[in-house]
Order: sequence, then C-alpha cells, then structure tokens
Amino acid sequence: MSELLSIKNVSLFYDHIHALRDVSLHLDKGETIALIGANGAGKSSILRAITGLQEIRAGTIYYNGERLDGRQPDAIVRAGISMAPEGRHVFPYMSVKDNLLMGAFTRKDKTEIAEDMHKVLEKFPRLRERFHQSASTLSGGEQQMMVIGRALMSRPKVLLLDEPSLGIAPKLVQSIARSIVAINRDDHVSVILVEQNSRMAMRISHRTYALITGEIVISGNSAELQNDDRIRKLYLGGDTA
Amino acid sequence: MEQIVVNGLYLGAQYALIALGLTLIFALMNVLNFAHGQMYVLGGYMTYLVYGKLGMPFALGLAVSALTLLAVGAVVEKFLFRPVLRKSARDESSMLLAAGLAFFFDSIILLLFGQKQHGVPKIIEGVQNWGDFTVVIPNDKIVVGVCTVLMIAAFIIFMQYTKPGRAMRALAQDRTAAQLMGVSADRYGMLGFALGAMLAGLAGGLLVATTGVSSGIGGSISIKAFLMVMIGGAGVVPGAIAGGFILGMMESFGLSYLRAYGDITYLVIFASLMVFLSIRPHGLMGKPWG
Repeated sequence: MSELLSIKNVSLFYDHIHALRDVSLHLDKGETIALIGANGAGKSSILRAITGLQEIRAGTIYYNGERLDGRQPDAIVRAGISMAPEGRHVFPYMSVKDNLLMGAFTRKDKTEIAEDMHKVLEKFPRLRERFHQSASTLSGGEQQMMVIGRALMSRPKVLLLDEPSLGIAPKLVQSIARSIVAINRDDHVSVILVEQNSRMAMRISHRTYALITGEIVISGNSAELQNDDRIRKLYLGGDTA
Repeated sequence: MEQIVVNGLYLGAQYALIALGLTLIFALMNVLNFAHGQMYVLGGYMTYLVYGKLGMPFALGLAVSALTLLAVGAVVEKFLFRPVLRKSARDESSMLLAAGLAFFFDSIILLLFGQKQHGVPKIIEGVQNWGDFTVVIPNDKIVVGVCTVLMIAAFIIFMQYTKPGRAMRALAQDRTAAQLMGVSADRYGMLGFALGAMLAGLAGGLLVATTGVSSGIGGSISIKAFLMVMIGGAGVVPGAIAGGFILGMMESFGLSYLRAYGDITYLVIFASLMVFLSIRPHGLMGKPWG
C-alpha cells in the first residue's frame, strides 16, 4: 500500500499549551486509522493541523507527495481532504439539503453533485425524511449523519472524523460505525477516525495510534492492539461500550 | 396619520439599507463597524460630486458611490481589520480600530468638503397626493424609496440564491464549518466587508437626493445604525430590516406627536430601547448566545 498522508515530527501549541509533541504518523491509501486517547490527549489537534485550522509550530505534513502545512483550510479541502468536525458544526439556519450542498462548495459539475447527494441520502435515509427541515431541528445522531454526509459531498480521498460517536444514542453509534466501514470499503475513501470510544474505533480500523498528553505512545495493528495489555489498562478498563 | 406612516416607511427603508451593511459586517467578521456612518457620508459626497457638482446622471453618481465604498471596504478589511483580527483575539482591538477609522474618515471628509451642508438639484420635480392631500409625497422621494426597496430586495436575493451569498451565510452561521467546506474566510470576509460598506455608500448616495449631505452627520448615523441592529438582533438580516423600519416609524411618529414637548424624540427612543434591551438583550430576532 502507498502512503497517502504523512505527518512528521509535528508540534502544535495553543498559546502556551503544548498540544502535540513531535507527532509522526501516516495513512495509507484505502486504510482506516484510529486515533484514540483521553480528552485533551491531542487527537483533535492532529485533525486541526491536517485541515489547516491550526498552524503547526514544527514538523511537516505531506499529502500525495505535496507539502500541506501552511496552506489555508479551503485549499486543503480542494486537495481532497474533508472533515466532519467534533461537536458537529452544522449550519443551523440552513436546511439539510443546503447543508449537504455546502459540502460540495468546491465543486462545479451539477449532475455529479446531484448523484453524490443521492448516494448520501441512500447511505443515511433518515436525512431524506428531514431533507427540507432546518439543521437545528435534527437530533444529535441525525446531525452527525448529516455532517458525515456533508463531508462526503466534496468527494474526498481522505475523510477525517472527529468523535462521531460523541453524545449519540448507542443504537445510532452502531449504525454510524457501519457507515464508516462502508465509506472506507465501498467508496474507497481513506479514513482517520478520532474516538474516545476506543473499542468501536479499533474494531472498525486497520491500525491504531494511542495518544497521551500530545504524544503517540502506542501504535500498531488494531486487531492486535485490542488484546494488548497496555491498551486494555489505558483505555478499555472501565469502558463498557 | 397616513402621512406619518408613509414618512416612517420611507425613512425605515433608508435605515434598513444602512443597518443591513452593518449587520453583514458584524455577522461575518464579528466587527462592530463604528465607521459605518462615515462610510455613508462618504457615499453621499461621491454622489454629490458626480451628480450635483459635475452635472452627470444621478444613477452614475450612485454607481460611483457604490464602487468607491466597495473599494474602501475591501482595502480597510484587507489591510486593517484582517491583520488586527489575526493577531488579537480580543474584541476591543477591532472596536478601537473601527473607532479610529471613524475619526479618520471624519477628518478626511471635513478636509475635502468643509463644514457646509451640500445639496443637489432635485432629481425629479413634482409631488403626488392621495385622498385629497391626506398623503403628499414628492416625486423624488418616491424614486428614492423605490430604489431603496429594490436594493434591499437585490441584496436578499444575492445572499439567498448565489454562491457567494451562500458562502457568506455559511461563514456567519459557523465559521469553522464553512472553512472546512472550502469557503475561504479571507476572500468572503473581504467581500462581505466590501458589500457592507457599499450598502452604506448607496444609502448615503440615495439620501443626498432628498436631504443633501454634510460632513458632521456620520457619527449620529452610526449610532442610529447600531440602534436598529440592536432592536432587530445583531447579525440577522431580517432583524436589521425590522430594526430599520421600527426606528423609522418611531422617529416619524415621535417627530409628529412629541414635537409639542420639545426636541425629545430621540430621548424617548433611547429610553425605550434601554428598557427593551434589559428585557430582551439579544433583540427581536438575534441569537441569545455567542
């Protein structure tokens, strides 16, 4: 497999808070990787660094052989990287339809956009029922589906998902997990999944990176790590999900 | 009575056009543009120069006002507000910058045009009256009023149905999400600021036709614009329009009924606004959060 995205020796600060320390990781084409760790471990910061929402202090980010760090977020979307942010970030006063169309903001071909809209609605039939409702009236789970669908509307090669299971009913978590697998397997989108629900994240990913206070401490094959004693102790102990 | 309502509607449309620009800039950049009134005055002088002084068509005057303020807005955003907003997370920084800009524009305007009030020839002669002179409107006010309403309608259509309009609405609703959709915050922030300034300039240009322009009115126009935006709710387009018409009506009724008690219209308006805001701080249609 070929390397699609690579992060090398990245450090990131919020004012004086050292959020990422010398982080290196890579994502291969067709792969799903999981980033797990406690709140504040730096998982989301990695995604914010990739998307250009947060400037990095040191290190490099390469995508398809091109330097990505230092570019504006809109240029990074155009390059083929799309993100469903934590806390969902819907456009509250726009309809589901307009939210999804915003996802295709960088594209021009109307028939292709319509096709992709159709695919998203097939993937998440609940959104079809809510199609003309404003996004603020949706439940948390529906908003999450919409935000994932919106991220897919840019036809990304890499999809970044930040805590898709956060604050969502357990039943829906299963269904969202299945969608993520399908997006990776059937649509050939490489995925970086940030999750506090480590069990779910490791079950649906190929490889896992575990972070503690801004550093990657353990990484490896997800199936193997699920039985790793250190991972169990750190993340799966009291976890009943 | 009918005459008062008509006056209120006419005034309200002007005010709504001013408030729309202010609320657009606030919604997109989180900047309180204290220089909005001065931009309005600048627009007024542009139309005065082209139409009043050079004797060219009024429409050309409006176009020059619009383009000048579009450019002023774009430059001010790109070279002043953008760097300040990038370097400072504190709201006061951009507020001080806007206040400084207001003083700067005031001085420039005073320097170039002096203190004298400038009027222009009537754009169209004659008056219309209805119901045996219960309602009398001069033709020039009708033209200005219709132009104003058309501009408001055009702005709403632009925001609702065009791609840049959608981009700006997205930025206003959720900046992070909009950027993640590929909306350039720099480009559309600049466009929004320029459009907001342009609306102020157009309103100034239109009003020259009926009331003329003088250098000192920028500050009070800014204050009125803030009143409207606060009544309607900051950053909300329908709120700005509602606020504009409400203030226009209050002013029109106040000037007719309160005149007997002296020049207290604005005293009453300010007092009632304070009471209103203490009950509903986010205005009629504003969000109570953020």
